[in-house]
Amino acid sequence: MEPVLWQVLAGTRGGPNRARILRALDERPRNRNQLADELDLDYKTIEHHLEVLEDNGIVESTESDYGAVYLITDRTRHHWEKATEIMEEVQS
Amino acid sequence: MSTLLTVARIAAAVNVVLLVALAYVWGSNYRRIRSKQTLGTLVFAVLLLAENVLAFYYYTFSGLELTTPAARAMMLLQALELLAIAFLTWVTYD
Repeated sequence: MEPVLWQVLAGTRGGPNRARILRALDERPRNRNQLADELDLDYKTIEHHLEVLEDNGIVESTESDYGAVYLITDRTRHHWEKATEIMEEVQS
Repeated sequence: MSTLLTVARIAAAVNVVLLVALAYVWGSNYRRIRSKQTLGTLVFAVLLLAENVLAFYYYTFSGLELTTPAARAMMLLQALELLAIAFLTWVTYD
């Protein structure tokens, strides 16, 4: 899992924005619109990054009245120390 | 022999372009995330870039007199490297 986190959050062009999404989802689960507002990113961009994060098992979605809500998977929580280390660096 | 070397030369040139694109992404990620991992990918891209610049030079300007089997070997190695780098670029720009 750790190599996947590195690759997806730090090894790609979209990595820094994906790290921002993960940080926002750590505060609380959100849907795509909320993420787009919160991070000031295009809805399409958010959609794409969430797809990559979901494909890699880093986040998962559940259906709600307000559309799909995204949250961090247990698998990612299991490696949360490493994920935090990557996200903190991205912030600066 | 010259056709084989032309293919090898084109593959090396495309590799150079792709590796510049990779070094750009990994370089900007390294600026944001100063870690062993981000440095590793950046150094990897830069060294492979140097290899391909050198290969392009050898195929183009050095006047090497290669036998046909040798030229075929160089062409195949360069083409496989192109496939590897193209795949990595696709993943990195996703």
